[in-house]
Order: sequence, then structure tokens, then C-alpha cells
Amino acid sequence: MHTCKVPPAPKLRLYRINTGSCNGCDVELAATEALTRFGLERLGLSFTADPTQADLVLITGPLTVRSKGKVLAEYAQVPDPKITVLIGVCPISGGAFRDSYAVLGPLDEFLAADVNIPGCPPRPEAIVAGIAEAARLWRGGEGPQLAPAGFPAPANLRGRMSYRAEACVGCRMCQHVCAGGAIRFEEQEAGVSFTLWHNSCLFCGMCSHYCPTGALTPTGEWNLAHPQAQKYQMVEQGVVPRISCSCCGVPMLPVVPELMRKGYRALTRETAQLQTLCSECRQVRSIGGLQRCTK
Amino acid sequence: MSRTVITLGPRQLGLEEPMYFRVQTEGDRVCGLEVLAGQVHRGMEHLTLKRNFYQNITLLERLCSLCSNSHPSTFCTALEELAGMVIPPRAEYLRAVADEIKRIASHLFNCAVVAHIVGEHTLFRRVMELREIVQQSKETIYGNRMDLAANCIGGVRYDPDAGAIDYLKNQLERLKSPLEELYRVFEDAAVLRAATEGVGVLTREQANEFGVVGPVARAAGIDYDVRKKSPYGAYDRLSFQVAIEGAGDVRARALVRLAEARQAVSLIEQCLDQLPNGPVALASFPEVPAGEVIAKSEAPRGELIYYLKTDGTDLPVRLKWRVPSYPNWAALGEMLKGEPVSRIPLIVNSIDPCISCTDR
Amino acid sequence: MHEVEARVELVLAGALGARQVVAWRRDVKGVASGWCRLGEPEQVLPAARALAGLGARLSMVSASLVPAAPNATGREVAYHFDLDGTTLTLTLELPLQGARVPSLTPVYRNADWQEREFRELYDIEVLGHPNPGRLFVDRSLEPALFERLIPYSTFINGASGEKLWRQVQAAQQENPS
Repeated sequence: MHTCKVPPAPKLRLYRINTGSCNGCDVELAATEALTRFGLERLGLSFTADPTQADLVLITGPLTVRSKGKVLAEYAQVPDPKITVLIGVCPISGGAFRDSYAVLGPLDEFLAADVNIPGCPPRPEAIVAGIAEAARLWRGGEGPQLAPAGFPAPANLRGRMSYRAEACVGCRMCQHVCAGGAIRFEEQEAGVSFTLWHNSCLFCGMCSHYCPTGALTPTGEWNLAHPQAQKYQMVEQGVVPRISCSCCGVPMLPVVPELMRKGYRALTRETAQLQTLCSECRQVRSIGGLQRCTK
Repeated sequence: MSRTVITLGPRQLGLEEPMYFRVQTEGDRVCGLEVLAGQVHRGMEHLTLKRNFYQNITLLERLCSLCSNSHPSTFCTALEELAGMVIPPRAEYLRAVADEIKRIASHLFNCAVVAHIVGEHTLFRRVMELREIVQQSKETIYGNRMDLAANCIGGVRYDPDAGAIDYLKNQLERLKSPLEELYRVFEDAAVLRAATEGVGVLTREQANEFGVVGPVARAAGIDYDVRKKSPYGAYDRLSFQVAIEGAGDVRARALVRLAEARQAVSLIEQCLDQLPNGPVALASFPEVPAGEVIAKSEAPRGELIYYLKTDGTDLPVRLKWRVPSYPNWAALGEMLKGEPVSRIPLIVNSIDPCISCTDR
Repeated sequence: MHEVEARVELVLAGALGARQVVAWRRDVKGVASGWCRLGEPEQVLPAARALAGLGARLSMVSASLVPAAPNATGREVAYHFDLDGTTLTLTLELPLQGARVPSLTPVYRNADWQEREFRELYDIEVLGHPNPGRLFVDRSLEPALFERLIPYSTFINGASGEKLWRQVQAAQQENPS
């Protein structure tokens, strides 16, 4: 009888390049390497200090002007075909350091990236999930895909940000405090659109801390690793629709219940009526007690 | 004897970050050192002038992940001083908790690297495992294992409830006896002692001459700790003794750090026991007037100093800081003089150099 | 007046031949800081010698443009000294053209990097520095970056960010959620 034995997947070797990082991703990589609980070994992966022996390249940092020459020379020593993994938002988008005179990134302008692992820094579990994805690509799409469920996250984890347009008043405080330049508002005919790009998000949660209405909240979702083709699709989006003032008809953003609660302590039938009034009409109605629109 | 010059980089030195050294040698001994910095220069001081105060809190936390909390907390202290804000007592204690939890993780990482360089791989893994208790605590309390995002202008952004405080106390309990044991290992274990005692010595006079700070200074017998000399936050109400050694060698530096890691456990416990009720931050968005101010703190690697100049807008006119690693690099030349080339990695790591901090 | 403060004023007056005005402030914890503006840039060298005699440590040097760029009309260099927990700042006012300061490296070894650093970021000449080469900034970048980038920054500020955001928008139009 003929038995077909599947040979074990060959061991893949990982090589690390630091292009001028804050060392956050690097220290987490050191922990990922040192501690068996993160399971790199089980995936048939190990680190090498020799670029010529590597299959996968792990890159951290935003690529500083001074590191560029050494980084690209080291990268070229890794034989092709190779899979390149960008760890943390720095190499993916420049992160917090974008637009500095001393920073050249994003890295994909200088080399071919394959997998991105956003975060600042991503937790080791996210790093392993991204590397597992890279290993799968290297093996032609075969191999285990890591289930995020295998690594529970604490309730307070600052992972992917989520946005609720229903609660947003378009005050743009989130954009003002965002150090990563990850948030954009745009005036559209239908309303104000909000976009948060996860590949520039620093996981700091300042946006949700200063959001007056709770429209932004961090979720515990930490596995944001994705193939390079999806780089620009990693967004959180919503539109705050414009309505017409129920009194004078000017276009306006609706007053969200969260703001009404702040302003008037409670939502009653009376205060609910104020939600569809523009600020001028609202002022007249709430202060003057006038029952009829005078505009 | 033949004089040669060799260039060493992060690979040869076991560093997580890129830093290069031009080393002059005579035979197999070091006789001169030039530090080649700038690989991690991200132009951060210039970037801070283009970012508002709120953005700078997050940007500064990305200066270096190992002492990440020290930067935003010291920067916020500077802003609060200029704005005449007195933060709530609960916030002062919670800032100290965040700083001390980072101190434990930072010191343990350095201690793990020392074990690695000495070839004690089992010990290396053991220290990294122990550090995981701290990493998990940070992730559970703050939401990230490295960057805590604990600070805001006027206080802190976290308010642990009774459950969280119990959890943290439990985690601290788990650290206590392993930390004590680790101290004894670094103090007495034959292999470590042989590798670190009398190695890379910086005398007290040299330490003063180079103006070194933190564990590097305290290992040489200099009794200086910003938490005592220029108390800030909750430290004027916490009880601790400045960790001092006298030999000024690699061993003394490791022992100072391990003593401080143990002490940090006690400091956090004191904070949690004394934690006053009340708000964790002032609610207002402050107006920061024009002015200039100094703020200092004791980061894991020593004295951190910030200078902030403002003009009444929410962008700094100048934000300058000097990290503790900065003066310590130059003293490395003295520590290495006459040492065999093979000891360079150990001695370099004994100043716990932070490159992303230095280069900015 | 506290002892440290009196001693500082005494040695500064001795070194510079006249009484110097030092503004002392205390923060909420009672930690003192002193602020003194010197009349002439050359005075910083004898002042530093006198402070070294008191056992002061040079803690940091901060150069800046005043007022904030792009409206700068001058520069300042602030030398921060530590006196056992008290910080004393000596500030020099310098012109935009021909700014020169004496090197403190002969007095304080740790002034070496501080001076090299502000020299590569600002148009300030450091007289008598033993090793005045680039420190952090790559040789391919222009000197005095904090000053050259004033007009330049309006152009590059956000340029790379804008490019990325155009790509984010393009991806959403192709692939609306």
C-alpha cells in the first residue's frame, strides 16, 4: 500500500531590521522571540542574525535619513524571494514621525512590502499573527492562520478604534488631538464624512478621551494585520448627515442625544424637540420660551 | 603593540537599536571610543513645534518605549506649572504608579540583556518571563504593553476601580520574591559575579566629571535621585531610600537597577494604599500663557529634564529635553579604557543606553 | 533667601564683576529654579567656571529662535545648571546675524554634545569647541535645520501625509464600504 506522507513545512528564518524606531516594536519582538507562549516556534519560525539566511524580513521604524543606506544594503542581502513584514505604523505610514526633515518613510516607497501589522506598538500576539500570515504567503498560501480567539485580550485593550456617526457632532476635537494625523473630516453634500485610517493610528486613544459625545471608542480588536494590497482600505468611516432646521430650514448637523444630555442633563420630549433646531433657533427656543419660529 | 580601529554596530553589541562605535584598540584592549549617533534621529524636537500640546503628549510618548511614560508626564508637569494648574492628589499618585510600573519593566529588560550577553540563557528567559507579569499588568490596567497613554494635561486618563487595584496588588505580590531572588543572583551567583565585578569601572570623580545621572551615577556612589532632590507629584509623600552602590562597575549598576525594581513595587503599593478619592484630572482645557519653565523627573535611566517656552498659543515656541542616556554615553569611554574588546557589549549595555531617546 | 540662591548670586557677581539679577521661582512642591539673563554672550564662560566651583552640574543647553519661527528676530541659548536639585538657567540673547558663543566644553566635559547639537540645528558658532562635527543630523541634510526649514516647512509640512490621504480616499472610492 502506498502511503502519502506530507513533509513538515520547512523552517522559515526571520531577519529584523530597525530603521530608526522608538524601540517599542523591537522590545516586543524580543519578547516574542524569547517567550514560547507566543508560539513562533510552533509555526516553524526562528530568528537569524544572518540576512543571507533569511526568508522573511521584519521591519520596524519610520526609516530615518541616516539609516537609509545601511537599511537598504542589509535588505538587499536577504535573498529573493523574500516576504517583507512591516511592524507598527511607523514603517507603514511614517506614524507619529511623518513629515519630519529626518524621516523618509513610508517604507513601501523603497522596497516591496507584503504584510502590514499596524499598532503602536502592536501586541506580540498581533505580531505573531502578522508573521504567520507572511509565512503563509511564503508557502504559497498554505499553513495555519492564527485565530485571534486563541489570545484573549484584557477588557481595557486599546485596539482598533470604532466610530459611531450617530453620536458625532463634527466638532473635530479628535482630529485636533490626533498625533498620528489619522483622522480626516470632509464636507460633503450629504453631510460631514469622517475617516480614520488604522495604518496611521497610534492606539493612544486621545480621540476617544477628548470626544465630548462618545462617538469614538477603542475596541479590544487587536489583530489588524493585513496584506499590503489592503493598506489603504483599513479605515473606519461614517457620515454625519445634514438635516434642515425644523424651524428655519438652514442645513445643519443634528444635535446628538449625548450632547443634549450634557447640555440639558436629561432627554425629555421637550428637549428632544431641540435636536432638530439650528443653534440660533435652539437658543431662541430654549431661552426665550417662544413657541413659534420667528425667523 | 599594534593600534587598530574597529567599528562595532548593534549586531555585535546585542543592542535592539542601531548605534555604532569606532573603537581604538591596542592589542586586545580598548584605548579609545567614539560614539557615532544619529541613526534614530527623527527630528522630534522640530516636530514638536509643529504639533499642538495635545498631540505632543502622544508624540513624546513615542520618543522611547522603555521610558515612554516619563516623557508625557514630565511634559504635562511643565504645561501645568506654566498654566498654574494644581492637579488632583489622586492624579499625582496615579502618575507615580505609571512611572514606577515602567521602571520595573525597563530595569528588568536591561537585566535580561545582561544575562543574555554573559551567556546565562536560562536566566535571560527567566527574567523575560518575570517581566511578562509587568507587561500583562500594563496591558490590563492601561490598554497597551508599552505605551500607557496615562497622562493628559491636568492629570491622568485612567481611574482604577477597586477590582483593578486588587488585580494590580496581586500582580505586585507575584513579583516580590522572584525580584528578591534575582537581586541575590546578580549579587552572588559565581558566573555573574566573575563577569561583572570590577568590570567597566567609573569612579565617583569620573562620574562627577562627566555629569552622569541615574543608576550609572548611583552605582558610583553619587546620592542623586530627582524624586528626592526635586520632589514632584506624589513622591514627597512616599517613603523610599535612594539605591546606592559604590564600586562603579557593571555589577553595581545592575544591583542599583534591581534594588530600584524592588523599591518600585513598594512605591506602587504605597500609592495604592494611600490613593485618595476624587477626580483624576482637572476638567478644563487650560490656557497656557507665554512663559518658560523647567520640569524634571527621575526616569528609569536617571534625571530627565524638559525646558518649555510658550507664547500663549497651543504650539510650543521651543520644547527641549535632555534624556538621562545623553551624558552617560561620553563616560563610556572611561569605563572601556583598558578593558578587553570582548567585554564591550557587556559594558555598553551596563549604562542601559537608550538610543531612540538620545537621537530623538 | 535660601543658602544656594545666595551663593549663586555671590559667585556670579564675583565672576562677572557686577550683581546679576536672578529671578527665583518655586513650583507647587517648593522646588526652586533661578532665571538669569546675561548681558554679553562671552560672560557665560566665566559664569560657568564660577558655577563649576560651586559644584554645579551642567544639565542641558537649549537654543531657540525668538519669537517663534517664522517671525524670529533673534536667538537665545539657555544653559541649565543643576545645584543639588535647584535648576539655574543662564540665558544669552544672540542676534540673527553672526551669533557666537564661547564653548563651555573646557569647563564641562558634557557640554561637548550639547554644543555640537545646537550648532547643527541653528546658525550659531561655538568658539573653541574641540570637536565641532555633525552629531545627530545626517551630512546629506542642510545645516541649521531649525532655521532653514522655516520657509521650507510651509511647503513640506504635511506633504507626505497628503499623498497618503489621497491614496486612502482613492481606495474608498474604488471600494466603498
